[in-house]
Amino acid sequence: MSFELKSTQWPLLALALRSADTQRLMQDWRQRYGGESGFFDQDALLLDFSALSEGNEPLADFSALLALLRAAHLHPVAYRGGAAALREQAAAAGLARADDALDAVQALTTSAAAPALDPSPAAAPERPAVGALLIERPLRSGQQVYARGRDLIVTAMVNPGAEVVADGHIHVYAPLRGKAIAGARGDETACIFATCLEAELLSIAGTYRTSEVPLPPEVRSKAARVRLQRHLDAERLLIEAIA
Amino acid sequence: MSKIVVVTSGKGGVGKTTTSASFATGLALKGFKTVVIDFDVGLRNLDLIMGCERRVVYDFINVIHQEANLNQALIKDKKCDNLYVLAASQTRDKDALSQEGVERVLNDLAAMGFDYIVCDSPAGIEIGALMAMHYADEALVVTNPEVSSVRDSDRILGMLSSKTRRAIEGREAIKEHLLITRYNPNRVQEGQMLSLQDIQDILRIPLIGVIPESETVLQASNQGLPAVHMQGTEVSEAYKDVIERFLGQERPLRFVEAQKPSLLKRLFGR
Repeated sequence: MSFELKSTQWPLLALALRSADTQRLMQDWRQRYGGESGFFDQDALLLDFSALSEGNEPLADFSALLALLRAAHLHPVAYRGGAAALREQAAAAGLARADDALDAVQALTTSAAAPALDPSPAAAPERPAVGALLIERPLRSGQQVYARGRDLIVTAMVNPGAEVVADGHIHVYAPLRGKAIAGARGDETACIFATCLEAELLSIAGTYRTSEVPLPPEVRSKAARVRLQRHLDAERLLIEAIA
Repeated sequence: MSKIVVVTSGKGGVGKTTTSASFATGLALKGFKTVVIDFDVGLRNLDLIMGCERRVVYDFINVIHQEANLNQALIKDKKCDNLYVLAASQTRDKDALSQEGVERVLNDLAAMGFDYIVCDSPAGIEIGALMAMHYADEALVVTNPEVSSVRDSDRILGMLSSKTRRAIEGREAIKEHLLITRYNPNRVQEGQMLSLQDIQDILRIPLIGVIPESETVLQASNQGLPAVHMQGTEVSEAYKDVIERFLGQERPLRFVEAQKPSLLKRLFGR
């Protein structure tokens, strides 16, 4: 046999559109990621139209939006949800229908760039309703855990190159050396707690800091809490030692 | 009952093949019937290190594809009675490794009464490395005292605990051993290399040995001789300690302390 057909899973980034105003969206995008950035590495992208089911107008400048995403080294490959006209438009642009796609990885929402938009009720962050996801094995480089719609508790080390993602809070009762992404679906009240904070990246509701700027000595390798602080229009991560 | 040991690392050039050759040789010298298999299809090296490259007629891929039988492909080592080499193919690529084929060959080797089957993994995390680790009972994770090597080993440890047969079938986990190679205590002291403590702080698996950085390794591989045969050298002694510990003996760590310059050297600055 010259071929083999296999079932394969593939992590996608999801871009949830919260406004049908493409111009504004592109403007927000450029503001956040610049025109062309090295932030993405040819990642496959799902366009999530779930919040745009009202009305039945195709998006203006849809091809310009796709071009912008491609210039940022993203590959739009599929779409989910949306009104009929929008779905037809996406299908015509060669995107696959992926209504069954599960948020198995970090959802990349435009939340951090969104404060200028009117917060619609549909986009309101969901509080975790079920108990936390408990992980008791070490997470090593390349491994990823996502607590969908809930908190995440990890009792073993999270090594450099590993990723812990939760829609709610993240607690790590061991050295946290990988990436920690709390409030992945936009919950700005989410926090990250670690008993030994040495993370490569900390992110809450899309606001992130990398270890390029070293953590301040009063929290580095110490027990600490990270939360999002909003001051006027700016947001920043506040990192405090836990006494 | 034969035991399958994979020698793996993720990163290339850290000493997997050197370790596979010396480890397999050491087990054979202890009287165990041992075979060492090169999984690095397309970039075979083990036969060079073992000094049997001119005797390779049939290889692992031929056996997998049933173009030759094991008796034709197994190369008997010239220095040890109990040691056999199964060379990789230089002309094929790693897609020629099929999981069923690898399993059949391992089963056949077990049926031939081998005590230990040592699988020399290629670098990377692709099919060759996955095949080498898939059926393993124990793993030697070879790591150099540098950040990139430690991270790659961490990645491999994650795969050992999720992608191998023991993990998939939910059986007892693969027994993992950390082997640190190219360790230079003086450079550790000067902060140019990660210390044993730094490495274990990240990887957190039991340490089976430390092989010092030494020119002996290069000399041995140029001669086509496993380094464990270089009698009287630190590298040879360190590999012998590794084998003793693998077989359950306790051995103190050697060659891990920085050498202080002698009084004369300090006085005369030489």
